[in-house]
Amino acid sequence: MKNGNAKTKRYLEIIPACISWGILIFLACLSIFRPILSAILIIIFEFYWNIRTIYLTTLLVLAYKKLSNEKNRDWLSDCVGLAPKKDWAKVYHLIIFPVYKEGLKILRPSLKSLADCQYPKEKMIVVMAFEERSSDSRSNAAILEEEFKSGFFGYISTFHPDGIPGESRTKGANATWAAKQAKEFLDKRSIAYEDILISCFDADTCVDKQYFACLTYHFLTSSRPHQASYQPMPVYNNNIWYAPAFARLVETSGSFCQMIESMRLEKFVTFSSHSMSFKTLVAINYWPVNMISDDSVVYWKAFLYYKGDYRVVPLYITVSMDAAYSTSIFKTVVVQYKQKRRWAWGVENFPFLVEGLIHDKKIPLAKKIRRSFNLLESHISWAVWAMIIMLITPLPILFGGAFFSQTSIGYNLPRIGGLLLNFALGTSLIWIVLSMTILPKRPPDVKWFKYIMMVIEWALAPVIILILGSTPALDAQTRLALGKYMQFYSTEKVYKNIPEEKNG
Amino acid sequence: MITRNEQRIRAFLFYSSVAIFITGLPLILSFALGYKFDRRAFKFTRTGLLVLKTQPQGANIFLNETLFPAKTPATVTELLPGNYTVRLELEGHYPWINQAGISAGKVTFLEKIILFPLRPDIKQINSETLSTFWADEERGAIYYVNPDDGGIYKPDSEGRRSERVAESVPLDPPADKWKISPDREIVLYFNSRKIGITNISQQHKLFCRLPFVIDYPYKPIIDAYWHSDSYHLIIIGLRNIAVMEADSRSEPVILLSLAKKNTPSFYDTRTDTLYFLDTQRAEDGNLYDNLYKLDLNAKLSPFQELMRLRQSDEKRERED
Repeated sequence: MKNGNAKTKRYLEIIPACISWGILIFLACLSIFRPILSAILIIIFEFYWNIRTIYLTTLLVLAYKKLSNEKNRDWLSDCVGLAPKKDWAKVYHLIIFPVYKEGLKILRPSLKSLADCQYPKEKMIVVMAFEERSSDSRSNAAILEEEFKSGFFGYISTFHPDGIPGESRTKGANATWAAKQAKEFLDKRSIAYEDILISCFDADTCVDKQYFACLTYHFLTSSRPHQASYQPMPVYNNNIWYAPAFARLVETSGSFCQMIESMRLEKFVTFSSHSMSFKTLVAINYWPVNMISDDSVVYWKAFLYYKGDYRVVPLYITVSMDAAYSTSIFKTVVVQYKQKRRWAWGVENFPFLVEGLIHDKKIPLAKKIRRSFNLLESHISWAVWAMIIMLITPLPILFGGAFFSQTSIGYNLPRIGGLLLNFALGTSLIWIVLSMTILPKRPPDVKWFKYIMMVIEWALAPVIILILGSTPALDAQTRLALGKYMQFYSTEKVYKNIPEEKNG
Repeated sequence: MITRNEQRIRAFLFYSSVAIFITGLPLILSFALGYKFDRRAFKFTRTGLLVLKTQPQGANIFLNETLFPAKTPATVTELLPGNYTVRLELEGHYPWINQAGISAGKVTFLEKIILFPLRPDIKQINSETLSTFWADEERGAIYYVNPDDGGIYKPDSEGRRSERVAESVPLDPPADKWKISPDREIVLYFNSRKIGITNISQQHKLFCRLPFVIDYPYKPIIDAYWHSDSYHLIIIGLRNIAVMEADSRSEPVILLSLAKKNTPSFYDTRTDTLYFLDTQRAEDGNLYDNLYKLDLNAKLSPFQELMRLRQSDEKRERED
């Protein structure tokens, strides 16, 4: 990289943390030295946040409605119905599971969900992408090949070597290696890249039976289908009944956020398990091999490649993953914190995007500004909003003294804040109701009163929002600003409490 | 896929949210800052707040003789700056009337208002004749003494019934003061010559039978206190300070002789410290009152001496 580019990248890396910390420090200082002005800003922010919460909750309801409507749709029949204009049978699905430390207990259900799909298996090529450095990768690969190889058109086990120059230990590096191996497989069979849809799934991803039919339908019916990624709705239902309240709440909120984003197409970016055209993937030179947030960077790579004419098509069908938790509450908090910090590390997309936009000459300036602002704003909001509501709001009252408490705004601030907070909590009732409806069927060994617990646990929301809302995002931004780059960390997913037969 | 109709709905929601924010924000901020739109002057005027709290609650609020719709506790908002006559009325209670100054953008607090009832709620709570009463503040209990039989009674709070909780030996003249021990089990009562001890609990740990009366040898008694061990008594005499055990066989030990007669005193049971005045002649030859403190912690020597005497008495009893 040229020296000037490196400098620009460093400046861009510092910007998000500077803005987030700047907002928090500014408001904290203002609360001490100018409490009335701070109170005015806090009321403006709280009012804005309420309106935003209501707006986003409405989008969640709309997304949920779409998900419910399309739940039992027979996508395969719809694909067949597209003939003769569109030949769905031409489409192949290349499915990559990058594996790091995940064992057979996690991988088996994922492969079984593929095998159970209502889609011709002779159109599916599965790539189990192991890391060479992982000690049991060879043995696990052999066991899984024995069990699943015969069920698909193609089944490849790849072993990503450690220490390739220019690579970091990231999921993207492994997926890229696997995709290149798969390319050789496809080339030998002369399968055209434009007929291949690639799905890169987290190792614990269990797809819906109709997933590939749904994906094929959307691919065939979209305009410019190669200029789009296809994003299913992630839910964390694999072990949700056995996860502790804390983890359950965080993961459910994560699913809902993704559903909300699916309604905001101009901001929608790929996340976690998703699919795209193999032709496009090859054209953009695969996933980044030195960035943690490969799932979203791959979108921005395609966005830059197609000069801003690239989008994400939401698929209202679920892919189910594991809720992250550990053997104790404290360890679960740590696991969740690290997972959220890894997600928040997506802030590295900002310097990547802006640098790409600076060098691009064809994307309209307004679009450049809008997309980079949207990206920055989402990360800044993530890092500061819970801090402002939970920690900054009481400061004017604490530091304002007798003078502030005897002013109208000093008297009204906690009352208006309380009123707005209650209003926001009212909307959370909708979240509670929806969270109950997306649950999978209760396993027989789980008692019925767990339903009640799942409602009550929403009382933990304010604590969780503070611990796992802003803090990991602020942490990730600060690390990026300080140049302390993160390494890929595989989220611990313990199968505690789950009966052995479910464990696989 | 998102349909065109859904995109329209979303756009509608988005712009509605923006509209609500833009229109709602000035209202919410003007409310927070205490602004009110004055329709006559056709301009925003900064107002003040009046916070009213009464005991009991539910009083009608009159500001400058205008009835306010809410009842106490209440916050009266949007008051134009100036002086207001505040009248609070609650049925069966004396009205509360006062002036309150309201300043722009400020809050005036009137929070410690007690509305007293028109007819005080008086109840007789004794069911026996009585000569005196005293209170155990810590337990919220009231006791009274029937002079005819020396019985100590404890009435319930409603005065429906009185429980006879102890006996006492009447003094002549009647006891001036009654004092309950720190462990709330024994009662000390005395006049200028005699000291009586009785128990109001069967759990007391005294060695002797109760009640009893002793004739105090260093009379007159000015005051007497319980030591924190609920066993020793500190007695202020006319010109001395003595200690003795709450025992019918106990003899007082004089700790100090005083130059001043009838000295005022205070005993702090938490620290077992006696505070008293005494007179001392200064170098200029004049007499001056000084304030003294006397530590009577059980570790100090007068108590060790008393304990020693007590133990020797018990030993003698066993030998007899």
